[in-house]
Amino acid sequence: MGMDIGKFLKSPEHEIKITTYRDIFQIEALERDRFGEDYRKLSACIVIGKNDMQKMGIKDRDRVLISNKYGSVVVDVKESKKEEPGGVAFMVNSPWSNALVSDVTGGKGIPEFKEIIAKISLTKEEITSIESLRV
Amino acid sequence: MPSVMELYQFLPKTNCKKCGESTCMAFAVAILSRKKKISECPPILETSFKKQKDKLESLLLPTAGAEETGMMVHHELCTGCGNCVVACPVDVANDPKGAAVGCAPTNEKVIFKVVDGKVLASNIKECRRFGKNRVLCYACIDPCPTGAIEFV
Amino acid sequence: MITCTGCALLCEDIEVIIENNSVKETRNACRRGAARIKGCVNRMVPSIDQKPVDIDISLKKAIQILKNAKAPMLFGFGNSTNEAQKKAIQLAKKINAALDDTSSFCQGHLIEKVLHNKFRTCSLDEIRNKADVLVYWGSDAQDSQPRHLSRFSYFPRGELRQRGYEEDRLAIAIDVRESNTAKICKGHFYRIPLKGDREFILALMDALSGKVPTYDPKKMLELAAILKKAEFGVIFAGIGLTYSIKDDIDILVALSDKLPNFHIMPMVGHYNMRGFNENLFNETGFVNRVKFSEGKTIHDDKYSIVEALKENTVDALLVVGSDPVSSLPRSIISHLASIPVICIDPCVTMTSKIAIVNIPCAVSGIESSGTAIRMDGKVVELKKAMASNYPDDENVLKRLLEVI
Repeated sequence: MGMDIGKFLKSPEHEIKITTYRDIFQIEALERDRFGEDYRKLSACIVIGKNDMQKMGIKDRDRVLISNKYGSVVVDVKESKKEEPGGVAFMVNSPWSNALVSDVTGGKGIPEFKEIIAKISLTKEEITSIESLRV
Repeated sequence: MPSVMELYQFLPKTNCKKCGESTCMAFAVAILSRKKKISECPPILETSFKKQKDKLESLLLPTAGAEETGMMVHHELCTGCGNCVVACPVDVANDPKGAAVGCAPTNEKVIFKVVDGKVLASNIKECRRFGKNRVLCYACIDPCPTGAIEFV
Repeated sequence: MITCTGCALLCEDIEVIIENNSVKETRNACRRGAARIKGCVNRMVPSIDQKPVDIDISLKKAIQILKNAKAPMLFGFGNSTNEAQKKAIQLAKKINAALDDTSSFCQGHLIEKVLHNKFRTCSLDEIRNKADVLVYWGSDAQDSQPRHLSRFSYFPRGELRQRGYEEDRLAIAIDVRESNTAKICKGHFYRIPLKGDREFILALMDALSGKVPTYDPKKMLELAAILKKAEFGVIFAGIGLTYSIKDDIDILVALSDKLPNFHIMPMVGHYNMRGFNENLFNETGFVNRVKFSEGKTIHDDKYSIVEALKENTVDALLVVGSDPVSSLPRSIISHLASIPVICIDPCVTMTSKIAIVNIPCAVSGIESSGTAIRMDGKVVELKKAMASNYPDDENVLKRLLEVI
């Protein structure tokens, strides 16, 4: 049996649960220029509590790949400035979070925006551009 | 913001009284509360004190934009929600039909106004933290969830 | 004074300084509103296949697409005036189209309950004058409706609440996240686990009935005691709550029955989403998700934008003042690439970038006038503050309606 080299080259993956929220500074950027740098910076990120970050070996401002069977995005990590009970990370509602939302709706017409299950790992890739999030 | 001790350690510590204060420690208190400027200390203007003078200036830089009451509005944090406009007791008293009931200010006597989506402070001498009978009022700080208003 | 269309509070006390036909300064508008009033940097230009054309040619192409479609759908309208929304309803009727709006995957279910009088609700002005206990539930008003607390709910003095918020009002936040609104509620922030709203409501109903709740009994009994004492209470139901109980909205009706002094207010984002729900309700008895067929109205979840795109049941889409490519899951919108999309909007959006036809319009409330319905049901007038080279969306829809 050969050694699984991929295991050593690839950053470890962790399960993560994400919920979405609204942020007035990001909405301001959206109103002004949804294709601009400010909107990208304020949207393409994930906020994680300190303890969860330590458990996953992730640091503030690290670049991460978040993926599940619905899609994947590369975003920056922001350490939460608040005390978090842990277990849930936060992404502001945007095309980046929507890339990860499930298509399972049970025929009821409302997607599950508030509970995204995905895998997260460190990456050196570029942040996902808004252009590549089009259909 | 720096402490009195931090400022004191960069002063000449000669208690020369040229600034009008009785000690260098008293002068440190005065520059921290913006009653005196660094330049009112003649010895520190000499070239041999240049490094210490630069250090003092950098320590006091964060408070440079503060009003006379010490109020600083961090515009980059302000969401323009207007909570401070409505909660300020001076605004309530001076504009009972406007700011007091949640509406836009109807006169120029209020302290807080929202311009271009961010709060602007004016009439700062009306602030309860100013003047002889000043009180340590927190009415504009408590309703601000982003910490955009600070007294230094 | 103009009316801000930044959110469904429709603040009517905004002053603007205009120079050279652009907004130089805003007064009284929050950060969100100021950004809306100052406008976007990339205004849309009329185009077909992403190539600029004269606006009349883009209109002709739109008419051709809608005429040829067997199963067209009209969608958007949260950022349209009542007058434009009514034109859209007429257009949908005329071409036997499906019609849906953004409330379909937002607050539609809750507004439907309001319009059917399933629970007590009230006006924002009543809240200012009377409310003493405020519950922000799954709602970060500070970020989504930024002047909610200062204009109406918590900070202002009102007829029965003269002494200021510290003495006369109590604000409570129930949320998964410590939002800016939760920070203001300080000592009364109840953090719940993700999707824990249903369990929280059940426990709270137990506590209100005098039973010992199974979930965090000490805190639940304390909260129940506060709510019971309220003279005029309000639950501000945000989308955090609505999404969490989307399969059983009636549980909120049950809670409301246990709280006779409470009112429920759906926290609406887009400035005239409630308007669309009311206008369609008055016309058909439904708030969204309809299809018109030879004078009849069929209401079905399959006519929701999400199911229609997922199941490929529409063959042309007219989008007005909305950006579904941005706001819907990517896993659902892939069908959009295979059908003709017509986009009517003041600005370039992700949807306009994939649209076959783009028809620019004026920004309502700044470049054109009309009316809209505030989140509490009050009709508010929108005023025109400056001129625009483009017709408003009402006019665009009127022209489509006249020719088809």
